[in-house]
Amino acid sequence: MVHNETSSQKIKRAPVHEGMKNHYITFALSIILTALAFFAVMNSDLGSGFVYFFIVILAFVQAILQILFWMHMKDRGHLYAQVTFVVAALVLLPIMVTALFWIWW
Amino acid sequence: MSAHSHTDHLPAELEKATLEGRNKILGFWLFLGAECALFGTLFASYLALRGNNMGGPTANELFDLSIVALATFILLTSSLFSVLAVHEMHRHNLGKVRFWLAATVLFGLAFLALEIYEFVHYVHEGHTFSSSAFASSFYSLVGFHGSHVLFGVCWIALLVAQLGRKGLTVVTGPKIYVAALYWHFIDVVWVFIFTVVYLMGKVG
Repeated sequence: MVHNETSSQKIKRAPVHEGMKNHYITFALSIILTALAFFAVMNSDLGSGFVYFFIVILAFVQAILQILFWMHMKDRGHLYAQVTFVVAALVLLPIMVTALFWIWW
Repeated sequence: MSAHSHTDHLPAELEKATLEGRNKILGFWLFLGAECALFGTLFASYLALRGNNMGGPTANELFDLSIVALATFILLTSSLFSVLAVHEMHRHNLGKVRFWLAATVLFGLAFLALEIYEFVHYVHEGHTFSSSAFASSFYSLVGFHGSHVLFGVCWIALLVAQLGRKGLTVVTGPKIYVAALYWHFIDVVWVFIFTVVYLMGKVG
């Protein structure tokens, strides 16, 4: 009985250990993406329209990476959280964009 | 080693072992959804008002990218520390959980110190809360984020103290997990702040 329990726990824990590599990769990628964004802004040869577009894309990529890996969104059992997040994004983004256009024009 | 065998009766994932723990995590995601709405409106008002500097210093004149880069690196590293704490919680290693949470608190404090230094510098440049719409929306957005960091620092520091008394259980496990979620969220918001406020301010 006791032996059975410990072995089943070891099976449960195995994927948790593998996850650590992903966390370090997320950290390294976040630093690279941040450095790219700062570099794009400091490089005056690039057009400002392109830089705006580029750094916003980089920010979204970094945010999605951190949400998936550091906030465990890619793990099983996160259906509610995923649905909440996607619905919130779908509702909030159009409201924000509409409000901005309404104020500017 | 003896401490490890002492806690071996615990389930592997403490945060999901009880219904209360699972509900806490679901409830916390709903809270983070509400936080998204809060920061969404603050970002929208900043984007709409950032050009109205009323003759005061502009974003391009004010911001110093080297301080922002350092603050970004500090917060990103502290976010990694909190994920390390959750990892050690899964391995039932109380000492290392407290170590990484304490490291998270220390880096959070360093971030706050940089932000206070930055704000004091801006006030000396004539960029105060009431000097223009740009300044008001800037301090609202960045200040709200800073106050979230301050709250997180106090929360996680108390958690480190409580873990010293109560150890790792199915009650304290979800607390660690949820505090780490909060800290990651603060870092994700900062990603958009350094992009939208500081980098876009430098582009012009």
